[in-house]
Amino acid sequence: MKLIHVLSEALRAMLANPLRTMLTMLGIIIGIASVVLMLAVGDGIKLFIDKQLSVLGSNLVIVQADSRKAVGARLRTGTVQTITLDDAEAINRLPSVKGAAPMLTTYSQISYGNDNTNTQVQGTTPISFAIRNLRLAKGIGLSEVDIASASRVAVLGKKVAEQLFYKNDPIGQTIRIDNQSFQVIGVLDNEGQSFDSGDIGEVVMVPISTARVTLIRTATPRTVQYVVVQSKTTEGLNDMVADIYDLMRDRHRIRAEEPDDFRVVNFGEFAKTGEAIATGLSIALGFVGAVSLVVGGIGIMNIMLVSVTERTREIGIRMAIGARPSDVLWQFLIEAVAICLVSGIIGVALSAGVASAVSSTGKFEMAIGAKAVGIAVVFSCIVGIFFGFYPARRASKLQPVECLRYE
Amino acid sequence: MMDSMIVHSAAGALVEITDVRKSYFSNRVETPVLHGINVTMQRGDFVAVMGQSGSGKSTLMNILGCLDTPTSGAYRLAGVDVGAQSRAELATLRNRTIGFVFQSFNLLKRMSVLDNVALPLIYAGVSRSASRSRAQTQLDKVGLGELASRQPNQLSGGQQQRVAIARALVVDPPLILADEPTGNLDTRTSNDIMALLNELNRERGQSIILVTHEPDIAAHAKRLVRLKDGLVLYDGPAAEGLRQLRTDDNTASASEVSQ
Repeated sequence: MKLIHVLSEALRAMLANPLRTMLTMLGIIIGIASVVLMLAVGDGIKLFIDKQLSVLGSNLVIVQADSRKAVGARLRTGTVQTITLDDAEAINRLPSVKGAAPMLTTYSQISYGNDNTNTQVQGTTPISFAIRNLRLAKGIGLSEVDIASASRVAVLGKKVAEQLFYKNDPIGQTIRIDNQSFQVIGVLDNEGQSFDSGDIGEVVMVPISTARVTLIRTATPRTVQYVVVQSKTTEGLNDMVADIYDLMRDRHRIRAEEPDDFRVVNFGEFAKTGEAIATGLSIALGFVGAVSLVVGGIGIMNIMLVSVTERTREIGIRMAIGARPSDVLWQFLIEAVAICLVSGIIGVALSAGVASAVSSTGKFEMAIGAKAVGIAVVFSCIVGIFFGFYPARRASKLQPVECLRYE
Repeated sequence: MMDSMIVHSAAGALVEITDVRKSYFSNRVETPVLHGINVTMQRGDFVAVMGQSGSGKSTLMNILGCLDTPTSGAYRLAGVDVGAQSRAELATLRNRTIGFVFQSFNLLKRMSVLDNVALPLIYAGVSRSASRSRAQTQLDKVGLGELASRQPNQLSGGQQQRVAIARALVVDPPLILADEPTGNLDTRTSNDIMALLNELNRERGQSIILVTHEPDIAAHAKRLVRLKDGLVLYDGPAAEGLRQLRTDDNTASASEVSQ
């Protein structure tokens, strides 16, 4: 008997009782969808983290002010601005540090002509371009001269430039930030989420000195909100963090028993946390998927056993006209596998729908890869063969005489 | 009685049953059904098998159809020793050698008439398209060519039985085994079906074994084998056998009356 014939028989049997077939398939559909989503979530989170790191630059930590724990009322992180430009320069001079960029940020109204947008303005130094992997699509970046002279210049994020200028060239144009004129000197090429500023495409960068003068009032003339620091090597990251603690405690004259008035946020740790969450989520989904597949498989076995009993007479007729036991075995086995395969395909489609719904929110990229589809197909076949074999074998062992007597 | 045990010429015999016995076992209790049957059938013959229920008629039919195996004794079908075959080999033997026609038609639901007729060819390994075209030819021969795409339950009983006959003939088997083929049909349709079987036997030399309990139906056969209590009671020309049958019946009813 040819495979195509067995397949068409399987299809016919499935369509003979569509509701029952559909209900039987449900467990496998959920199982396969869970397994595929598990893989997609895992891949998506890895992709997310990689993207973060590439936007942000790797081996980065942020040094920011922390409310003194010794003080009675605890204030929100960053509100006690104890980090200064001098701290940033001192950190920059540490031998383990590649670069340290002081940051002052605020949200401001940006306008050009009749268009305006409200977005994050970052006051920073040229070092930040180097250590955060920032590339320029057009124009130039901030220079030390701009910092020294507090020039009114701005580098626009990609999306800001598109919002205000559409396809026109922004370079040399004058925009207004909080009603003060700035000349656009460059446009960033980067896009994607970064840990410290949201979407890097929606950021406007200005010299930190200019930001302090025009946009952001600070407690002292040298206060910064945080410092982005990059270590020279990945291996040296932890040593660098230790160096920064020693340096900062020394500079801030914190006694041994006193807590820090700053904290160091390690993005490597973030990535690790993200990976741990991804692993946890994958394990949970994988567990749901495995349970579903087993339960669904048992459902298939059950329905196939019912089907074998219901079709006893049919089996007898087939055997009488020349079906060998192996023909009967294949017929029922292929039927079980076909049910599982169709379920698998529906499961993949379902998970693709979920993935595209999640992706369309823009917060998280989820893609169903060929690997996931392959695994779904293999898993469905395995479930079909595993749970379909016993009923199929039982059908093949039936005696034609008894089958023909069966009413 | 001894006459029935005469072994006919074995050379080229289509069916050759020698001292076949069959017992059923339940809870280790042996219930013998066939007590040593000897039947030989040449190609081209048309044999009716008669017997009351409990005579072993169905058991013999199952053995003849290679659906069941004898407890002892030998069965050669078209030169093949049936007893020595595996289950798979028996299936192939049935497929190539025997065309079944059942009382309840036994067509497969949810499958077109054409696909039903083509199914034995599919199991014989013939390609799908070749099977279908041969099935169509066979349907044309039994006069149902136009109903090929119908479902079996859309057909009348007589039509379904014709489809079953087409299915039995499609692999061109040496033997047709018809088990009460008219049992579920009215008299007129029964006559049509018997006329078709007769025609197959006369014009194509098709060998047929017909199991029935109706003398009128058995009268279409050339030869009659009567079973009683697991033994062959009569084996000879149908006309003579049926005359004896009537006499036996009259004697039986006469004895009932006299009691």
